Amino acid sequence: MPRYRWRLRACALALLLVCLPYSAAFAHCFVGARFFPATLAVDDPCVADEMSLPTVSWSRTGDVPPATEWDVSAELSKRITEDLGISIGDVWTQIRQPGNPTLAGFADLETTLQYQLMKNDEHETAMLLGLIVDWGGTGAINSGIATPYSTLTPTYYFGKGFGDLPEDAGALRAFAVTGQVGYQFPTSSYDVAGGSYIPQVLVYGGSIQYSMPYLKSEIQDYQLPDFINHLIPIVEAQFATPVANNYGNSPVTTGTINPGAIWVGSYFQVGLEAQIPVNRASGTGVGVLGQLHLYLDDMFPTTIGQPLLGGTTALPRKLSF
Amino acid sequence: MRTPIAIISALSMSLAATGAHAHAFLDHASPLVGSTVPTPPHELSLSFTQNLEPAFSTVEVTGPGGARVDQGKPQISGNTMRVGLKPSGPGSYHVHWHALSVDTHTTQGSFTFHVGQ
Repeated sequence: MPRYRWRLRACALALLLVCLPYSAAFAHCFVGARFFPATLAVDDPCVADEMSLPTVSWSRTGDVPPATEWDVSAELSKRITEDLGISIGDVWTQIRQPGNPTLAGFADLETTLQYQLMKNDEHETAMLLGLIVDWGGTGAINSGIATPYSTLTPTYYFGKGFGDLPEDAGALRAFAVTGQVGYQFPTSSYDVAGGSYIPQVLVYGGSIQYSMPYLKSEIQDYQLPDFINHLIPIVEAQFATPVANNYGNSPVTTGTINPGAIWVGSYFQVGLEAQIPVNRASGTGVGVLGQLHLYLDDMFPTTIGQPLLGGTTALPRKLSF
Repeated sequence: MRTPIAIISALSMSLAATGAHAHAFLDHASPLVGSTVPTPPHELSLSFTQNLEPAFSTVEVTGPGGARVDQGKPQISGNTMRVGLKPSGPGSYHVHWHALSVDTHTTQGSFTFHVGQ
């Protein structure tokens, strides 16, 4: 990748961090008493001011012989208004396969525009619409890591906590699920260089999570060690199924199932998951995915942790039940 | 990859300089969340992970009959909220709280404790 492009990206990120105006606002993904953590493989159902830096994964591809793949990514999410947000992110990838030259470079730059459809505190439910755009020609095309064409993926996200179950449900009320489904359109239907059709792909996934913080503060305080009380054990799953314009390509669904845990602090969270491929086309053996995620709204509550528009510096209204 | 390190450093320095705060999570309660105590408590105490804004943090406690048993406005000092409880009988008590941390982040929650069951 040309060095000037990396510098340009770094400058853009730095400008976003230092130049956002003072306004005001609130939280990351709180819905009533439920906190949905930022998940690693799929997205949480809220617009927010947050940053994943870095997300690192190691896996082996489904090729024969398998190639070893490292991915290092960063993503910045920023609210424009209370309900409208935008994210920008990129991935640096290195692929080593025995007998072949090492490939490395940036994938295409990815942006996501998201709108918060609803949040229902009582039922711990959130819904979100998003448009993910991978901007073709912005990454390492020559190494095959990026593409010359763009893709657009309208996506629906949801989250549901089970705190509204009857109290008799006890500890089951600490469970929550999230999910997302999107349809990926490429801006070109045929890859001339590769001599293959570019499919339209259904991209979907979700998570089931158990909140130890919720168990402690809403259901039963077992006076467990503090470290345990900050954990959210989680299983994520992500899949992609080609559904159209797939002539001559494999029709196989690919994906991974990721068991792991997220430790939630006041200003950041740390997540670690295994990546288990669902079939040979999805990878070889178990990979690893880790992430440091920063809550910008908590770290910088009066500056970049607030929406760009519609914020207020006035004192909040008196709360009432 | 020097730029990400520089960004992390800048974030760390900014965080230290602003003395940032965060959402106020319920750290512990007395009586404990979900616990059973032998006699009705005279006071409910809630401790949070952040200091609270007294004017905008509230708690409501309802007793076994569904009537409010808290004695009104809670006393708030730092990260602790206390409210007196009216004498009441055995049964389940429901606590519902709203907290505003000093940096204007709101949180809310509810839980139950039991008396003499």
